Amino acid sequence: MKSKLMVAIAAMGIVVLFSSCQKVPQAEVDAATAAIQEVKDAGADLYVPEAYQALVDSMKSANEKIEVAKAKWFPNYTKAKETLAFVSQNAVDTKAKSEARKVELKAETEAMIVEVKALVVENTALIAKAPRGKEGREALEAIKSDLAVAETTVTEVEALLANGDLIGSNDKIKAAKEKATSIKAELEEAIAKKK
Amino acid sequence: MIVMVLKRKRILKWLLVGTLSLFLVAVTISVIIVSQRKLPTVDLKLARESLSTAKEAEANVYAEKLYKESLEMYEKAMRYWSIENSRFILFRDYTNVIILAKRSKSKSEEAEEKSIKLADNLTKDVEAAFINLGKKIELYNTLFKKLPLPKSVFDAHNKSKMFLSESKIAHESGKLKEAEILFKKADIYINHSNNAAAKMLRDYFNNYGKWKSLANDAIAASRGGNKVILVDKVAHKLYVYQSGKAIRSYDAEFGPNWMAHKERAGDKATPEGNYRVTVEKANGNSGYYKALLLDYPNAEDRRMFAINKKNGLISRRSGIGNLIEIHGNGGKGFDWTSGCVGLRDRDMDDLCRLVGSGIRVTIVGSIEPLSAVTKGLDF
Repeated sequence: MKSKLMVAIAAMGIVVLFSSCQKVPQAEVDAATAAIQEVKDAGADLYVPEAYQALVDSMKSANEKIEVAKAKWFPNYTKAKETLAFVSQNAVDTKAKSEARKVELKAETEAMIVEVKALVVENTALIAKAPRGKEGREALEAIKSDLAVAETTVTEVEALLANGDLIGSNDKIKAAKEKATSIKAELEEAIAKKK
Repeated sequence: MIVMVLKRKRILKWLLVGTLSLFLVAVTISVIIVSQRKLPTVDLKLARESLSTAKEAEANVYAEKLYKESLEMYEKAMRYWSIENSRFILFRDYTNVIILAKRSKSKSEEAEEKSIKLADNLTKDVEAAFINLGKKIELYNTLFKKLPLPKSVFDAHNKSKMFLSESKIAHESGKLKEAEILFKKADIYINHSNNAAAKMLRDYFNNYGKWKSLANDAIAASRGGNKVILVDKVAHKLYVYQSGKAIRSYDAEFGPNWMAHKERAGDKATPEGNYRVTVEKANGNSGYYKALLLDYPNAEDRRMFAINKKNGLISRRSGIGNLIEIHGNGGKGFDWTSGCVGLRDRDMDDLCRLVGSGIRVTIVGSIEPLSAVTKGLDF
């Protein structure tokens, strides 16, 4: 009887010893941290900022859960591990979203570059047809100069795109498109009045 | 002997019971101490949530310092928590961790509030700047667009419009700081173009006193019933005066460098002063439909030309120029002549019916003062 009791106490002691010595899931922490860094390197903080911020917040939450577990007599990192696994998985999704957004932005910018270039050609042709009416050549010179600015912007956009500034290039080409479109409208209106 | 053994066993038993009891008491006390101790879990969770909300409000952009401080405090709290957790369980103290977490939360909230306020103010500033820039662009279009401006002025104006478009796009995407940077660039360019154009116009109108006197003399000379031609370069008009009244008015075109008095051959400027028609050229005798040849250069032009040449203001090889006419082929809508006054052919027909050789022609920069030309606009 006595020996049975001793065995039970020893077993409990071993269980307590093992459970109290459960280690911090460092491998999972490192993996999640690396995954977030990879996502940041992919530009997620710029291209999908909300998703990136959610990821960072989840990582913070996981770190808190680790400390909560560490603060206990018998640390249990199950919850922290679950959050870390979520972070690692979500990082993959966020990176994919970021890459997709980049592709989308690049395609949008490239398409707009083509559109603006076509508008510049179209506007140059319209300038030749435009009446030299009341406002005359000065007005046309102003339009030509405006068009030159739009053209220069396209060159700047191409340089930005080559440097990987997808957001900057997208904003700039939008402005150039707006400008080229307004020039076209102005010229068409003048030509229509002439008729 | 047996009694002794029994006695020792009893002592041992009591010792064991005593030790176990003490151990149990110690464990109970420890458990009570640990369970009573406040963990920083909730405070840190709240601090993290506040940081997240502040970030959503772009506190990292508009209240950068406060947000950074808050983030640092949160991170410090986490570090302290980890340090405390590495100590023996009974010796842990989370007071500092909780204080830091609370401070971080309060700083985040402050940062969020400040950010919202600053973003609001910036939105108002940006929108006000758009209106202001719009007015400057409008001013340029109203007053300066038709002036013979240098290319640099022209280009600056167009660059300004492009930066304004970019700024509006940034504003629409909620990138207020970027919008601010861009409208500031737009403002620099529009100020450059408007200031340069305004200076050019003001400098030109420094001669207004002389023009006014020339115009008054011309109008006075028409009072006896004589016809006089009065040309207003700024208004781009040619008037025929008789008996002190304008009996005709035609749209006129000049040389591309019309905002200057002609000083030499090839300067594309239209002369200012009193002249007379020396020859009337019928259709076929002029390259420009019909023409009225003026006596440019007159004595005053020759005198000024000699002075300018002597002072090195005009190249020694330059000639004074001649063949300044009022001629046809006009109506092009821009200043295209080599310094002559260009009229539409039908206007030339009408003018030639009214006037002929010997008629006085007075050419001035403007009959109206600058304030009237600019319609009282502030520039």
